[in-house]
Amino acid sequence: MPPDVSVRDLVKHYVVPERTGGLRASFRSVIRRKHRLVRAVDGISFEVDRGEVVGFLGPNGAGKTTALKVLSGLLHPTDGQVDVLGFTPWDRRAEYLSRITLIMGQRQQLFWDLPAADSFLVNKAVFGIDDAVYARTVDLLTELLDLGDLLTKPVRQLSLGERMKVELAAGLLHRPRVLFLDEPTIGLDVTMQQRIREFVTAYNAETGATVLLTSHYMADVKALARRVIVIDQGKLLYDGALDGLVRRYAPHKTITVHLEREADLPDLNGQAEVLSVDGLQITIRAGKDDAPEVTGRLLTQLPIADLSVEDPPLEEVIDQVFRGEGP
Amino acid sequence: MIVRRATLAGALALTRAEVADMFQYRVVLFLYSLWEVVHPIVYLAVWGAIAGDGDVGGLRLSDFAAYYLTFMLVSHVTAAIEIYTFGPMIQQGELSPHLLRPMNPVWVAAARNISYKSVSMLLLIPVWIGLVIILRPSLTITTGSAALFVVALVVAALLSFLVGTTFALLAFWTTRSFSFWEIWIGLTFLLGGQVAPVELLPGFVQNLATALPMRYTLGFPIEVLLNRLDSGELALGFALQFAWLFAAALVVRAVWRAGIRQYSAVGA
Repeated sequence: MPPDVSVRDLVKHYVVPERTGGLRASFRSVIRRKHRLVRAVDGISFEVDRGEVVGFLGPNGAGKTTALKVLSGLLHPTDGQVDVLGFTPWDRRAEYLSRITLIMGQRQQLFWDLPAADSFLVNKAVFGIDDAVYARTVDLLTELLDLGDLLTKPVRQLSLGERMKVELAAGLLHRPRVLFLDEPTIGLDVTMQQRIREFVTAYNAETGATVLLTSHYMADVKALARRVIVIDQGKLLYDGALDGLVRRYAPHKTITVHLEREADLPDLNGQAEVLSVDGLQITIRAGKDDAPEVTGRLLTQLPIADLSVEDPPLEEVIDQVFRGEGP
Repeated sequence: MIVRRATLAGALALTRAEVADMFQYRVVLFLYSLWEVVHPIVYLAVWGAIAGDGDVGGLRLSDFAAYYLTFMLVSHVTAAIEIYTFGPMIQQGELSPHLLRPMNPVWVAAARNISYKSVSMLLLIPVWIGLVIILRPSLTITTGSAALFVVALVVAALLSFLVGTTFALLAFWTTRSFSFWEIWIGLTFLLGGQVAPVELLPGFVQNLATALPMRYTLGFPIEVLLNRLDSGELALGFALQFAWLFAAALVVRAVWRAGIRQYSAVGA
């Protein structure tokens, strides 16, 4: 089975006008405009199989959103080949648009003053969804997203989180096979973020849809995607399993020990660093390769009640990747 | 041009939603369109004063009343609002969600145009009837002229919509599309049958007005209804009106395609 999404050497450059602030610069720019080339996406390749959930990671301006916009057909790339479900996205064929959705955290397609149900009916007609399928889909989405009576209230009276749920539902009415989610949880409280995550997981399981999502909430990515693609400054830094990312980029492990009684720490030979001592709990950071030896020494030389060895938080790992540290 | 069935159904659903949406703003809408309908009274007052008890180029006060009362309805039906509705959508990046649906976003502009006019018309008809009672125009409408009027009015509305959309689409390239639109508005004021019926314009200007598209968005349907044209002028008028409609459709298509290329190149 061919992959749902196939991207080869994708390049997207923008030319943007540039000038410094101030009146003089403003006059000068009338006569001679300076331009700067922005390499939003600079030669990335990857494939996504049917039913996969893939997280796009990267700092602001990394090119995540640009990549999603190319994939959904909003942007024409500067170079490279993209194939999604056998279509070239930027041809924006009706058959293509009926099979995908792009949901952007801040854009809205709903009529502000009308209940979302009215906007839903517009999408039903535009996408040519037949009555029975429409009814089933609305039921499914209402259940998964707990929409309740949200569809009958004017959109302007909904909270940000409620609106996001309704927006998601509106973008899924035509049962797209590929979902591009750009920051789907941005600006939402923790409970609502959790809810959206559970929904995406459930939707993926229920429909077998392929999902590509960007987020800078690490919790989103951890909860949703087993595979991550890390891009920075338009280039692909990593493509693979989430735990592989941690294994590859985390330079150290965190060892936490609980002692049965007070005791002196053994000599750590400079292989580890004590981060904190809090009563009977000691937190130690050791290099990845030294961790087994350090753990062994702690176990033999201390009266230990409990010991755990953990990878550092994902945020820290990602930060490491973006700063170009690590292997 | 082949239009998908879902597109037509979509446009219809969109228009229904837009109408519901418009009703939320009925008071604003009423005041806004009230000016549009009532301002021709100014032209009528001026021409009435000039005509006095006599006539100007064969038009008496009651003829001017008929012309400008018809003008009120025609100018409302053919008003192009795309520079206010569609242009800002492009400028503010609101086009993207619409581009992701299998329907050309120009339909969104069309739906808004139709809903604006149908809702505001409901509010304005009573005002207009009141004016007819007060102003007593001399109207002799035949079945023939009424039928031709409907055709001329529909084509005028379509032409006007396409012209308005073209100017709105300039927002793909410039933040100053309003300035270009002002030029069109000015030309329509002079040559479209607004400040004066085209038949009163001096020779050379009248020829210009006959050739250019502005008259076909406004003055022409009025002249048709009021039987101001002989059969030769009627035939020429319709020929030119349809020709301009066809040309405008080609222009909108070309500008839309170029605009979308621009939009998807610089960042949607």
